[in-house]
Amino acid sequence: MSHQTGVSDESGELLTQLRDSVRQVIEGTGLLGAEDHIWKQSVELGWLLTAVPEELDGLGLGNTGTHAIHLELGKGLSGAPYLPATLAIDALCQSTLSDKRSWLERLTGGELVTAPLADGDLTLDDSQNLDGTLTAVQSADIASHVLAWTNNAEQLLIIALDQSGLEWQERKTWDETRRFYDVHLNALPLAKQTRLAQGPQAKDIVTRLLAQRDFALAADAVGGATALLAMTVDHLQTRVQFRRPLAMFQALKHRCADMKALTAASEAMLFDALHSAAPEQKATAAKHLACTSFAKVAEESLQLHGGIGMAAEHPCHLFLKRALLNVHLGRGGDMYEQLIAEAFLTGT
Amino acid sequence: MTAETETLRAEIRAWLTQNSPAGWRSAMTNAEQERFVEVQKDWFGKLAEAGYATPHWPEGWPGGGRSLAQQKVIFEEVARADAPRLILYFVALYHAACTLFECGSDAQRDKYLPGILQGEIWCQGFSEPNAGSDLASLKTRAERKGDKYIINGQKTWSTMAQYADRCLLLARTDKSGVPQAGLTYLLLDMKSKGVSVRPISQITGDDEFSEIFFDDVEVSVDDRVGEEGAGWAVAQATLASERGLTLVELTQRMRYGLSMLAQTMKDRQRTNDSAILRDLGALIPKVDAACALADQYLQKRISDTEQAGDASIVKLYYAQTLREFVALGQRISGLEGQYQAGFMRGATQETGNWTLDFMNSYNWSIAGGSNEIQRNIIAERMLGMPREPKNWQLAEGQS
Repeated sequence: MSHQTGVSDESGELLTQLRDSVRQVIEGTGLLGAEDHIWKQSVELGWLLTAVPEELDGLGLGNTGTHAIHLELGKGLSGAPYLPATLAIDALCQSTLSDKRSWLERLTGGELVTAPLADGDLTLDDSQNLDGTLTAVQSADIASHVLAWTNNAEQLLIIALDQSGLEWQERKTWDETRRFYDVHLNALPLAKQTRLAQGPQAKDIVTRLLAQRDFALAADAVGGATALLAMTVDHLQTRVQFRRPLAMFQALKHRCADMKALTAASEAMLFDALHSAAPEQKATAAKHLACTSFAKVAEESLQLHGGIGMAAEHPCHLFLKRALLNVHLGRGGDMYEQLIAEAFLTGT
Repeated sequence: MTAETETLRAEIRAWLTQNSPAGWRSAMTNAEQERFVEVQKDWFGKLAEAGYATPHWPEGWPGGGRSLAQQKVIFEEVARADAPRLILYFVALYHAACTLFECGSDAQRDKYLPGILQGEIWCQGFSEPNAGSDLASLKTRAERKGDKYIINGQKTWSTMAQYADRCLLLARTDKSGVPQAGLTYLLLDMKSKGVSVRPISQITGDDEFSEIFFDDVEVSVDDRVGEEGAGWAVAQATLASERGLTLVELTQRMRYGLSMLAQTMKDRQRTNDSAILRDLGALIPKVDAACALADQYLQKRISDTEQAGDASIVKLYYAQTLREFVALGQRISGLEGQYQAGFMRGATQETGNWTLDFMNSYNWSIAGGSNEIQRNIIAERMLGMPREPKNWQLAEGQS
């Protein structure tokens, strides 16, 4: 075991290769690489197999692996639906579905099962019909199915998007780097859906998925903050006013140093949480810190870019909008602090 | 985590159960400083005897030869057991000893290290009234006369100097050239003729720092560490000796201190106040992150992958988080927290006496390189931003 990664040296090498392959793709596309291109790459280069256990023919790199990819994709403001796809794949791996292997082949082969990136409102009524809305469902228009769970987490399902009683509708967010949809379910018969788990097993998997989603959003935020801070420092190094580079002014240097500390702290917390004995307990804290820190870095960065930061042609605003959205994804941006405090006070 | 460190963890945990001074928090509340010194001496004696006071010393010295990973375990467990910090001996055990190991001569090691093991107290004579963040500009003079240096000048912010037997002194032997080049590192006996110490009364009512005045104090050339003019480099070794370990201890103690915040919330009946809950919820991840930063920083030191500025990030983030931590305690404690209460010696910044803790938290944002200095280091050495131009002319009469 190597202490730096918490994984065996062989997996460590695999992880490095994987990270490098994501970096290469993102460097090739630059910021805002085309969604379909990056999605194709994540299929062809095996990124979707990252967390799939070895016994199911995956790479077996777990959260540590997907986290590294989310982070790199966040740096490039990627719009590819890698995050919801990994949630669906993980749910499938955890399930006891009989034809799990053939599903996995489809999903890692490029068929997209997307997932809601925020908590929706799905209920099962007495006549075993599903009603409600799944929200912040990424790239639903190119997906065949959506991963969903009921409010009480008793049912974990894969729901086909082309069936009657289901409608989806694009919701344009201020964030232009990803495409989100609302999926409305109206009296959809439970019996016709693919059930991954129910009862206590479903609850356990949903708890795990919520933590995975938190970690993924945190990694995306750390990646975004890292890239944005570098871009901001570059700008300050280049822009000359009062006959000196702006980077020479201590007032601005200190703000960059604070941003660096915020980003480093978020990354350290995320790393620590992922390698702790009970990662799920630290997911909310890691997500909250990383996403609020990214938002702070984005807020500061726009100010430090000055006028050009307000111009649509400059990518600064893309980071700001993604950062603001990330805060509200997951379990609801405004709920995290309360959740964390209550968990601490009750000792859970 | 290796089996070896975990064996040590179990061993020290068991030892602490038997030996950690029980009830020191209440004993140290409102304690006279003399009583504080007694408790520190006693605690040092126990730790030294068990070999836990000197894990960072080289192999061959009592208690020495422990790896950084093992040292970390000891710090973690002492913090976990809520034993007092060895404030009075920190300079002797870390700064003085590490300077001697790294830059001293065999004769100096033989002369001074046994005394340190027996509980001699050392203080640091670096900062001056006009040389704080800009340490290299210090003016205390050391003039060579035969086989002696004659010291004249003043030091300040010297922790526990009023109890110190010896002083690590950084003095100027040469005024020409760049400021760093003319400094020399000396070991000074605090009982020497011409040394006087004046404790500084702090805003908390405590006086853990002192000013030291030197009036024609003689120091033998044998007590010079390194060459004349090499003092700056020796001082860097001094300051590097504790890097990482202290922050592991402090961040761990801050994490344990969260339960004190919870207690204050209960005492003040604020556990259902969602505004307070949210502040607590915002703070907890930061405390976790500070612990993670300190931990990963030490891992970098262990694996020798440390980069310039890494230490500054940990210190800056800790100091900022600590301020938020004590500010929240202070806020929850309400008017009650504004009434003076006896203070606790030998604790860190988490005593539950929140207004006092708030004031004390400035120790970490000012001492040991202020937040502003850390930000400069991060901006310049990590982010590659340029230094400020240095062509400023002082007005007449300023120096």
